[in-house]
Amino acid sequence: MTPLPDSLLEAVASAAVREGLADAVFTRLNTPIGKLLVVQGPEGIARIGFEEEPEDALLAGVAAELGPRVVASDRELAAARDAISSYLEGDASVLDLPVDLRFVHAPFRRAVLETLHDTVRRGEVVTYGKLAERSGNPRAFRAAATACARNPVPLVVPCHRVLPSTGGIGNYGGGVARKRVLLELEGAL
Amino acid sequence: MTANAPALPPFWSLVEAHGDELLAHARRVAGPEHAEDVLQDAFLRALRAYPRLRHGEHLRAWLYRVTTTAAIDAHRSRPRERPVGEPPEVGVSDDVDADGAFEALIAPLPEAAREPLRLRFVEDLDYDHIAGRLGCSPQAARQRVSTAVRTLRERHAA
Repeated sequence: MTPLPDSLLEAVASAAVREGLADAVFTRLNTPIGKLLVVQGPEGIARIGFEEEPEDALLAGVAAELGPRVVASDRELAAARDAISSYLEGDASVLDLPVDLRFVHAPFRRAVLETLHDTVRRGEVVTYGKLAERSGNPRAFRAAATACARNPVPLVVPCHRVLPSTGGIGNYGGGVARKRVLLELEGAL
Repeated sequence: MTANAPALPPFWSLVEAHGDELLAHARRVAGPEHAEDVLQDAFLRALRAYPRLRHGEHLRAWLYRVTTTAAIDAHRSRPRERPVGEPPEVGVSDDVDADGAFEALIAPLPEAAREPLRLRFVEDLDYDHIAGRLGCSPQAARQRVSTAVRTLRERHAA
């Protein structure tokens, strides 16, 4: 059986985006920290999955949250692909992409991730307590840690820059080894 | 997602799971030359309808049906090719199905179903004229075309 040409798939996805038929657009990307699956929602990047995360479950979650009209397109997400690749390959010093945090339902967790996205730059790190404080509730460091652990858009919302106040590198949704690589790339370690 | 919304899989997982066989189906029903255009149109039609589906079952068969319908519509809307300067012929003209795609599409049906389909979609006759050719009432002609289209969809969805 002749496989479906990529050009046909790209044409379908582009037409879907143009006609407003796509609830979400995703792309698969090879990077120095492994394969990533990047999902664009209505307002920005809504979800990034590391290669350990099963793709079926991730995309089913996207369909449930954003709607079932999920399409793939490298072309429609070319800008995000370039930005992420350049950043992880060390060719760009800033990863600045709009985020869509509609996967985060709890208001405080959302505030934490917004604060993290807006205030913690490359090369900086912050503790969970400090992040909680900046987000409006200094005592909620555990909630801040939960927000980071469940961050739907790692890298773009830089939860790898959040460290425990007790020292050490702490945990990371994408694994501690990746957290270390990212912090080294950014010169924070 | 609201409690009563159907749990539809992400659309692209259907495209990736069934795309190759749907392209093969589009080649059968529309001919190799038109298969990709027909399938592209079918995927967009399917996307438009997707959120309105009442359940997430039989999605593969549904995509086959959408592809078949897109092939029929593409065939109907394709400009008839006639030599420049010649008046349109009345009645059968062999070159409207020059690639044989339409005959291939309707081949699985009995002749009693094929003839009304040819009159409607190849000769592009209205129901009064189809009735005249079949020797029945216009209502019966409409009925025979509609039954034949339904049978065709079912055959290609099977």
